[in-house]
Amino acid sequence: MTIRVVLADDHVLMRQGVSQMLNATPSITVVGECDDGVELIAAVLKLSPDVILMDISMPRMSGLVAIDKILAQRSDAKILVLSMHNEVEYIEAMRDAGAKGYILKESSGDKLVDAIKKVAANKTCFPDELTQSSNEQCQKHISPLSVLTRREREVFFLVAAGNTSKKIAELLDMSLKTAENHRSNIYKKLNLSSSAELIRVAGKAGLLE
Amino acid sequence: MNDVAKEIASIKALQATLQARLDADQEVLQQLAKRLWAQQESEKAKLSRELHDGIGQLLTGLTRRLQALSSSSPEIEALHGIAEMALNDVRQLSRLMSPTILDDLGLKPALNWLCRNLLSGEDIEYHTDISLPSELAKDISILLFRIAQESLVNAIKHSEATNLTLTVSHHHNVIRLDIIDNGVGFDSKTIEPGIGLSSIRDRAKAFNATLEIESAAGQGTRTTVTVPV
Repeated sequence: MTIRVVLADDHVLMRQGVSQMLNATPSITVVGECDDGVELIAAVLKLSPDVILMDISMPRMSGLVAIDKILAQRSDAKILVLSMHNEVEYIEAMRDAGAKGYILKESSGDKLVDAIKKVAANKTCFPDELTQSSNEQCQKHISPLSVLTRREREVFFLVAAGNTSKKIAELLDMSLKTAENHRSNIYKKLNLSSSAELIRVAGKAGLLE
Repeated sequence: MNDVAKEIASIKALQATLQARLDADQEVLQQLAKRLWAQQESEKAKLSRELHDGIGQLLTGLTRRLQALSSSSPEIEALHGIAEMALNDVRQLSRLMSPTILDDLGLKPALNWLCRNLLSGEDIEYHTDISLPSELAKDISILLFRIAQESLVNAIKHSEATNLTLTVSHHHNVIRLDIIDNGVGFDSKTIEPGIGLSSIRDRAKAFNATLEIESAAGQGTRTTVTVPV
């Protein structure tokens, strides 16, 4: 099956180079190219790509804001950040914002293709050396929210605040069944069996107000 | 009696008019100061791009070519090492000159990045605790970033500190930045402020921010900035 990619980078030469390279890869096709975050959001809504490959520093709307807006509309969007910045702060910020992967522009084409395939397969892909060099603070950042989707995070916080599924369904304007599904997905992902455990985990991660 | 009262009233009115004019002038001056700082930032950004895209690209090319040749002789391997150091220096200089991380990610990651970049090569242990309002004007972010940068550079150059803490907190409509080190401190009465310090004082004033530096010989230094938002 072909992986459909939307690509956003304001550097035209860079974008064209990446696009050509990806289109030459049999299992990948670039279905859209964008100059900035605003265009990207429109393209994502229109084209529903399998993977969004995007730069951070872009005019009109920065990558960080764009990620937030994309996930607000498509909470299951798979975003791979393509960046020149090899600083741990960037990677942490993108991971916290909900990106599934981060790859440096200086990486080889093979690495980029691998990263796209991984992210398309719903795996995460962050640079090893950077995840290792980041300190304990970073460890704290990853757990437990990073494994949850945006909607699940909302539910997570509402459960942590002591709300019942019924109340959560009301607050988030969803059916009781959906709320319960989210809740059970959260429990599964974080390996929990009760709301008491969830609250304990939230407290430990410093997520309780 | 009535005349005296009238005169007092007219003097008061005059005083109020003068005060209003003074306030207006001050407002104009403050806006001017803000524009000057903004202009300085944009000059720096331009220079930073020149460095990064100009010398930076040349050095990248040089480094790659030397790396390709480096297996041929130890001499060239050493040259490759020097070229790489030059490239890293240019990159760091360019980033400190105009911190793109501030635009890309916001003040909190930018301050963490600043501390890591400036302090991790020194023998100073540091700790940051940063809490910011969700929305923060860009000029205020730059102000706080530049004050932190200046204070950290001073601490590295002069303080001999082994420990430094940077905290940012916010209450109501005020943001407070504290930078505390355990270094040798200084006697603020005998030491004239340098260009860097005077410049951040001026800059703070343009934003109605207060900048206090508390220090005494052997007592470390605490720099506190409070800025209304």
